[in-house]
Amino acid sequence: MSQPSQLHENKPPVYPAVNYLNADRGVWSWLTTIDHKRIGVMYLISVMIAFLLGGIFAMALRVELLTPGPTIMGANTYNRMFTLHGVVMIFLFMIPAIPGVFGNFCLPLMLGAKDVAFPKLNLLSLYLYWTGATLVLAGMVMGGTDTGWTFYTPYSTTTPTTLFPVLLGIFILGFSSIVTGLNFIVTIHTLRAPGMGWMRMQLFVWAIYATSIIQVLATPVIGLTVLLVGIEKVGGFGLFDATRGGDPVLFEHMFWFYSHPAVYIMVLPAMGVVSEAIAAFSRKNIFGYKMIAYSSLGIAFVGFFAWGHHLFVSGQSPFNDGAFAVISMLVGVFTAIKVFNWVATLYRGAIAVKTPLIYICGFLFFIVFGGMTGIAVATVSLDVHWHDTYFVIAHFHFIMVGAVIMAFLIAVHYWFPKMFGRMYHEGWGMVAASLIVLGFNATFIPQFLLGNAGMPRRYYMYPERFQALNVASTAGASLLAFGFVIILIYLIYALVRGEVAGDNPWDSRGYEWMTTSPPPKHNFDETPIITKDPHSYQEPGEEVEHVVI
Amino acid sequence: MSSSDTHVPNPHLAHHYETIEKQDYAVRLGMWLFLGTEVLLFAGLFLGYTVYRHFYHEAFHEASRHLDLWAGATNTVVLITSSLSVALAYDAIKRGKTKRCAALLIFTIACALAFLVIKGIEYSHKFQEGALPGKWYHYAEVTAPGANLYYTVYFLTTGLHAFHVIVGMSILIWLLSRVLRGHFSESYYVPVELGGLYWHLVDLVWIFLFPLLYLI
Amino acid sequence: MAHETSDSPAAKDEHHPHGVGRYWLVWALLLVFTATTVITGRMDLGGANIFIALLIATIKATLVVLFFMHMTEAPGANRLVFVVSLVFSIVLMIGVFGDLWTRNPMSLPSGAPTTEAPER
Repeated sequence: MSQPSQLHENKPPVYPAVNYLNADRGVWSWLTTIDHKRIGVMYLISVMIAFLLGGIFAMALRVELLTPGPTIMGANTYNRMFTLHGVVMIFLFMIPAIPGVFGNFCLPLMLGAKDVAFPKLNLLSLYLYWTGATLVLAGMVMGGTDTGWTFYTPYSTTTPTTLFPVLLGIFILGFSSIVTGLNFIVTIHTLRAPGMGWMRMQLFVWAIYATSIIQVLATPVIGLTVLLVGIEKVGGFGLFDATRGGDPVLFEHMFWFYSHPAVYIMVLPAMGVVSEAIAAFSRKNIFGYKMIAYSSLGIAFVGFFAWGHHLFVSGQSPFNDGAFAVISMLVGVFTAIKVFNWVATLYRGAIAVKTPLIYICGFLFFIVFGGMTGIAVATVSLDVHWHDTYFVIAHFHFIMVGAVIMAFLIAVHYWFPKMFGRMYHEGWGMVAASLIVLGFNATFIPQFLLGNAGMPRRYYMYPERFQALNVASTAGASLLAFGFVIILIYLIYALVRGEVAGDNPWDSRGYEWMTTSPPPKHNFDETPIITKDPHSYQEPGEEVEHVVI
Repeated sequence: MSSSDTHVPNPHLAHHYETIEKQDYAVRLGMWLFLGTEVLLFAGLFLGYTVYRHFYHEAFHEASRHLDLWAGATNTVVLITSSLSVALAYDAIKRGKTKRCAALLIFTIACALAFLVIKGIEYSHKFQEGALPGKWYHYAEVTAPGANLYYTVYFLTTGLHAFHVIVGMSILIWLLSRVLRGHFSESYYVPVELGGLYWHLVDLVWIFLFPLLYLI
Repeated sequence: MAHETSDSPAAKDEHHPHGVGRYWLVWALLLVFTATTVITGRMDLGGANIFIALLIATIKATLVVLFFMHMTEAPGANRLVFVVSLVFSIVLMIGVFGDLWTRNPMSLPSGAPTTEAPER
């Protein structure tokens, strides 16, 4: 599909009068929609609410940790707070966010398709999400559980706190995840536009494909595991109870068999977003397309063999420790391949210094730093000291917040004009982005130092000598929170009063930009015929065009 | 196939698929993916079995001798036969033989019921004997350490399997109702195929459960 | 029973690549294997019992998957999906057993008292 650069046309941007947002009217039309775009928008609203909630829990934790002793809450409340922070952030935000919002919205558009393979199942996945999320929140209202989001037995099977709604919620959220993944895999296999072979798919599509494979394969195991915990709690079946002959470490094996690949469910779509954005904001053909595509599959595959690194100090045999340590480090190779290719794409590109680019820079730094600390904690002898300290917390927040949430923000800003036809205020975007990158560093770098100095995680009180770093971390968290609030404000403003963006304000070569912004209900007026490679800005031998977008 | 009748749209073709062949392909792939998730679900329980067998092989060996072999073997034959009948039902509707398909589906559903009844009888015996999971165990006949976990694994695996039998049976009843109402024919039968696939999975799980629980 | 189209179980055409005969054959084989496994299961063959039982179960499962579930005619993607799900089930077991087989015997939750002296 040859698309002349929009920049050379002197037409003012147009907002299509009829598009997917207003094609059918009324709340009922939204609640019964099978339009993947509307489902994506509803996911967006839902996950942002979840993120807000998880963020409030995080701020509560950080405020509590301002002083070595009790600050604003009791110990039991603190335990419930970090449990719910984890559960809400992971199951209600991180896992569903990028696939649910941008996978749903963009995937069919990127494939030149009219919808996902099973549109009604898509709606079902949204309803399953809402049901699961409501149950988890109900559990929170009923007092919440204090087991940590990892539900280790035997505490989780004997705790007097409200466990069932949370477990049931997670079980149902698992189904939502499976249904989404299944839908996307079939969509990618069967609904590509004519001319789009596998090697002509955009990199976000490859990322979603790899993610969906993990969702389908790994999620059933966590479903079973939380079901067994629930049964154990009620029935005393002894499966994970040492006093009845059971093995608590078996729980950990089963739990982490999902929960480690789960982090790749979170990070792979993020990497896909970054691939899209880097190509667009350096206006250059992506460097190493095949390697980025294959490395996504590589991460998905090898990621399944690494779960034992969560069991280094749980009584797992040293042999297994070593084996899992080596495999865990291998996953870093694939990430390194991607980082290399991303940087090579940026190199000598026509860099557009826009809000998404700030996040891209943040992302690159955080994923390298977070990834390297991942290799560090994968070293058994070191992890023996770092396990269950703030070092681990800092490591995974570098990836989950530093990489994944940066990428989520890239996705929001990059595709906001596509989804809503309007542009946000660039100045405020830059301000918020700077606050967030700065705030993030201020929040989590002290936590590396704290963990290394020995401060344990999930501890309500700590020795005096750790206070300075804790205060620094909380200050950083406040900056972060402030940044997010600013984003929320200007995005809502942009929804109603933003400038009209036009079909393709970034002059991106993604196929989702080859239709109007917002798109019509049926996506494309004519089924596109794909003739070029994806992310194609220059013909072979052509120079990079340095223009301002 | 009605590929020559391109101007008569297939009523079963969804708007976003080019051809009915593509749609059928998609639907089958979706079903196999779903079956893949079921395999992983049961894998966790099979893991539980193998782990506790590893710890308590004596208790597992002894306890399996106390299961009702004939009940288990009969159930195996029942499920295998029901797999045959559902495969024949699919073949029948592919040839447009609605009545034969319905009869075979009824037979399959009857087999599913028989399975559940036999299982129910087995369970009731266990409740009477005290051969119960975890902390409820008080079966005097098997005293090797870990026997209670044998029954934990037994009830969990057969329980989850029985749940799938019920789900499968419900799917078959729904399909039967559609067959009787004439929804399917030699040109549209994919849902019967998919329901059959689900039923075969239920059979597959039992094919492994039976020897692991009853025989070794 | 209505005789609508060709009724022969061996009727073949492009939409019915094989007759129903093969289903009956598979069923018969499955019954034979079931009988075999019941008989060998109750014999005492030592360590071979488990192996034989699993082997027969695998053969039966393969028959069901290939013929009843039409895996022989299925597109490659469907086959890949099924095989991959089996592979990862095995990965789960291998990962856990790597741990169990190499643990210090005293840290296994077996109820039987250990008669081995602790290491060191």
